[in-house]
Amino acid sequence: MVLPAVVAVTLVVGAALTTAILQSIGLMPLVGQPALSLDGYTAASTDLLTSIRLSLTIAVVSTALAVLVGVTVALMATSGRRLGLAVATFTVPVPHLIGAAAIGLLLADSGFLARLFRLDEGRWPALVGGRWWIAVIAEYTWKESAFIAIVVAGTLASRVAHFDETAILLGAGRIARLRLVTLPLIAPSVLAASTITFTYSLGSYEVAQLLGRAYPEPLAVMSVRLFRSIDLATRPEAAAVAVVTAALSVAVVGVSMIALRRSSVWR
Amino acid sequence: MIRQARAARLVRGLLIAWFVLPVIPVVLWAFANRWPFPDRLPAQFGFDGVRTALRSDAAHALVVSTGLGLAVALLATPAGILAARALTTGKVFAPRLVQAVIFAPLVLPAFAVALGLDVLVLRLHISSTLAVVAILAVAALPYTTSVMRLAFGAYDVGYDEEARTLGASRWVVAVRVQLPLLAPAISGAAFLAFLVGWSDYVVTLLVGGGRLISLPIIVASFASGTGNHSVVALLSIVAVLPPLILLAVVARFRGRRGAQS
Repeated sequence: MVLPAVVAVTLVVGAALTTAILQSIGLMPLVGQPALSLDGYTAASTDLLTSIRLSLTIAVVSTALAVLVGVTVALMATSGRRLGLAVATFTVPVPHLIGAAAIGLLLADSGFLARLFRLDEGRWPALVGGRWWIAVIAEYTWKESAFIAIVVAGTLASRVAHFDETAILLGAGRIARLRLVTLPLIAPSVLAASTITFTYSLGSYEVAQLLGRAYPEPLAVMSVRLFRSIDLATRPEAAAVAVVTAALSVAVVGVSMIALRRSSVWR
Repeated sequence: MIRQARAARLVRGLLIAWFVLPVIPVVLWAFANRWPFPDRLPAQFGFDGVRTALRSDAAHALVVSTGLGLAVALLATPAGILAARALTTGKVFAPRLVQAVIFAPLVLPAFAVALGLDVLVLRLHISSTLAVVAILAVAALPYTTSVMRLAFGAYDVGYDEEARTLGASRWVVAVRVQLPLLAPAISGAAFLAFLVGWSDYVVTLLVGGGRLISLPIIVASFASGTGNHSVVALLSIVAVLPPLILLAVVARFRGRRGAQS
């Protein structure tokens, strides 16, 4: 019964990865003879390294902020203040591209916040397309904090209540309960959800394309630009960036799976 | 204590503002004909954005996006149900490997998969629409499978046994007992799969080959130009309302079912 799913994934993902790798090492050129070479990886290696660093930084910062906001919302929901979680739920069906458009209207030089504070272009910081990628990080954090809040609130609802009551009966205070009961119990689902958030923001294209700046580029933007370039010779480079991004994602997920296995609460 | 309560209220207010704030300029811009810079509110409300949207391919894009969402849901939901069922009953060869394979699309960046397949789609002359649907259905499988796994995990086999004891055939049990009991989870899984098709941008862009114009594609093309704020805002609302309504329907459905059982 698992066959339809497994066959479909193997075909699509397997074929995609194989062709990406073959393209990246020059064995599947659009025109000309196939010839093994690592030029795809080395041609723009300084740019590639800059992009790796940039993408990792954006992903780390967005994930950390999303965890902070998401866990706070989830904790509030379990103490009876459910409005935050309800509002967060409504951001789930918002496509990331639409989220990016909305953040643009909010944070741009002539955006809603600049108008609200009556700050004209000289004094309003460059949040969209600026040095610090604030608008891009804000979009990821906005969408993913809602996702993390929902996942963690689910775990809290099903597991924590009983333990929490027992801890109260045993005389634990609020801080002690948070530190010794709640946080250890939600840690696995926080880890799982933040891994998904991290890999998403590492490999996402449209948000950084719309709200970022031209240089340096995150991995996805760099790869897609090279891929769509009229110069067909950049195809191996585009594929190389894609392979590197995929490898980074797999490595991060691998590490977090090992961490999850070690925690005994998670099954 | 009072200070603590006040701080907690402040944090709560900030968090709600955090989720609501980006929506405000979208709603204002959607119906703003004129909104010169330092003004806090539009100078003139109106339907210029609506008119521009109607002149563009938005209506067609709405149909395309709906079609993509439905096609992805139709493919990924049954496959997810079957996979989840097999994984919960434990009759699977190498369950860990199977699980890793099914969850792989969640880990791999969509642009990398799209980029790899694009060449293959061109060489093998596969229809680009078909390829987009296939990639997105595969991308939706982790969601449908994990929702259905949770549902099967919580499912009480006692109902099946009872029905079988009373003489129901396997088929009758599946249709009259399992399906109604699992309907809320199935609708939730289908909703998530629909969202994958509905929200996608990068796969449609790279593999669709410019022929598949979905709502996100149109919004992106307007958003990368200048002076299109009101039509971007309006189309954003158009792109968010249908799934929001679906979400409300699914949530009500799940709530009602939950109350019954």
